[in-house]
Amino acid sequence: MEAATVSTAAARPRTSRWRALLPPFTFVTPPTALLVVFFLVPMAILAVIAFEWGPLSGSSGFTLSNFTSIIDDPLYRRVTITTFEIATIAMLAQLVVAVPVAYVLAYKAGRFELPLLLMMVLADELNPMVRIYAWRMLLGREGIINSGLMSLGVIDHPIDALLFSKFAVIVVLSTSYVTYTVIPIYAAMKAINSGLFEAARDLGAGWFTTFRRVLLPLITPGIFVALLLVYIPLFTDFASPTLVGGTSGYMLGQSVNDLVLESGNLNAGAALSLMMLVASALFAVVAYKLAKIRQLDT
Amino acid sequence: MPLRYRIRRELPRIASVAISVAILAVLFGPVLLLALFSFNDSPIISLPWAGFTTHWYEVAWSDAEAREAVTHSLTVAIVVMVLSVVLGTMAAWGLTRLRFRGRAAVAGLHGSVLVVPWLLIGVAGLMFFSRVEVPLSLQTIGVMQLVVTFPLVVAIVSAGLVRFPRSLEEAAIDLGASQWQMMRHVVLPQLAPALAASAIFAFSWSFNNFEVSFFTGGFEQTFPVWVFSVLRHSQNLPMVNAISTVIAAVQVVLVLGAWRLMRRLSAGANDEELADIMVGGLR
Repeated sequence: MEAATVSTAAARPRTSRWRALLPPFTFVTPPTALLVVFFLVPMAILAVIAFEWGPLSGSSGFTLSNFTSIIDDPLYRRVTITTFEIATIAMLAQLVVAVPVAYVLAYKAGRFELPLLLMMVLADELNPMVRIYAWRMLLGREGIINSGLMSLGVIDHPIDALLFSKFAVIVVLSTSYVTYTVIPIYAAMKAINSGLFEAARDLGAGWFTTFRRVLLPLITPGIFVALLLVYIPLFTDFASPTLVGGTSGYMLGQSVNDLVLESGNLNAGAALSLMMLVASALFAVVAYKLAKIRQLDT
Repeated sequence: MPLRYRIRRELPRIASVAISVAILAVLFGPVLLLALFSFNDSPIISLPWAGFTTHWYEVAWSDAEAREAVTHSLTVAIVVMVLSVVLGTMAAWGLTRLRFRGRAAVAGLHGSVLVVPWLLIGVAGLMFFSRVEVPLSLQTIGVMQLVVTFPLVVAIVSAGLVRFPRSLEEAAIDLGASQWQMMRHVVLPQLAPALAASAIFAFSWSFNNFEVSFFTGGFEQTFPVWVFSVLRHSQNLPMVNAISTVIAAVQVVLVLGAWRLMRRLSAGANDEELADIMVGGLR
C-alpha cells in the first residue's frame, strides 16, 4: 500500500491500523473459497470422470476410451460440423448487424443514445425461454408467419423450413446474443477520436475508404471482445437447438445433454464436455491475445 | 431536383432511424406478438385473430406447476442477488484496493468463471453433487447460480471502483475517519450506481438462468426449466404466452426502475458515465 509511504508520519499508525483491522484475506477468502469448492472442484471431478472407465465396462483405472469413442464416431463429427457452421453463421450475422447498430448508437443517435442502449440491455435481460418461445410461435408450421402469409394468399402451403431447421437456430441465437456483440463494438467506437473522421474527409476519403481504413482497424479490438463474449456461448448452446432446431439443427450441447441425462453415459458426457471446455479456453486465449495486441497497435 | 437533394442530405438520418427501428423490431417484435396472442381466443396460436379473451391468464393462474416454478425462481433469484452483491463487492474491493500475494491468480479465477460456458458448469455441478452424494434441490441450483453470477458483480463493481480515485479514501482516513465512516460516507455514495446495476443484473441472471438450473436442479423446477420442459413435450400453448407476458412485463418494469434509480443515485454523473455503468463489466 503506497498510502503509508506518502502520508505523514502522524497518519501512519492509523493507516496501518486500517490494514491490521481487516487484512486482505477477509475480503477475498469467502468468494474465492466458494469458487474453489463449487467451480474448480466440480471441473476437476468432470476431468477425472472423463478419464475413467464407465461403471458397466467392468474395468477400472485410467482410460482414453471415452475420448476415442467420441472422436471415432462419424455422428459426432457431423454434429461438430453443424455446430460450428451454425455458430459461425450466427456470429457473422450478428457482426453484420452490430457494426451499423453500434455506429448509429455511438455517432448518430444523439439524445436517443442512452435510451437505445438501455433498450438493447433490456432485450438481453428478457428471459431467454420467453424469447425462444416467441420465435417458435412466429416460425412454426401453423405459426404466425405461415398462417399470416397464407391468409393473405401469398403462399398456398406453409413454409416448413422456417422452424426445426438450422435457419431457426441461427435466427434465435443471433437475436439472443446480439446485445453482447453490439456493446463492445460500440465501446470501441466511443473511444475513437472523431477528429480522425474529419481528417479522413479532408484528405478526400469517401465513406467506404473511411470505414475500411479508419473505422474498421480501430474497432477490431471491440470485435475480438465481442467474439470472446459471444462465440463460446453460441457453440455450446443447448436450449435453442433443442426447442427450434429439429434434427437438422442438432448441436453439441444437445449431445452433452443426451449423453449425461438421456443415456446416462456420464463418462462420455464428461469427455465431450472436457473437449468443449478446452476448445472454449483456446478460443478465449486467442481472442483475448488478439484484442490486446490490436489495442497496443493503435 | 430540390427533393432529391433533400433526400440525399437526409439520407444518413433516415438510415439511422431505419437501423434503430429494425433492430428494435427484431428484438422486441416477437415478444410483443407473444403478448398479443396471449389474449387470442383460440387454443392454437395462429392467424386469423379469433377474438379477445383473458381466459389464458386464468388458466395460467390456476396451474399449480407454473405458479410453483415462478415462486421457486423468485426465491432463488432474491437469495442469489443478495449474496452475489455481498460476495462480489467484497471480492471487487479486495482485488482493486488491496495488495496481496496471489492477487492475479484470484482475479483470473473470478474472470474465468465468466468465460466457461454455463452448460459445462451445469454438467460439472451435476457430476460434483452426485460424487459427494448431495441430492439435487433448489439449494444446489442456488449455489451454482451464485457461482456463475457473483463474478459479474465483481466485474461491474471493480469497474466502478477503478473509476474513482482512492486518494479520497486515503484523505478520509488521514482526516480521522474510521474505516466504517470511510466506507459509509466516501465509498458507498460513489459506488451506489454500480451496486444498483449489479443487483438488477444479478437478479436477472439468476431468474433467467437455464443451463445451470437445468442440470443441477431436482424435482423443483425453476421458471425457465418449466417452460423448457413444457415446450419440449408439447405444442405451443397460449397459457405459456400468458405467463411469459407477465414475466416479460415485470422484467421491463424492473430494468426501467433500476435505470431510474441509477440515474438518481448518480446525480452528478454525465451520460457517458451512466452508459459505462450500464454496459458494466463488458468493457
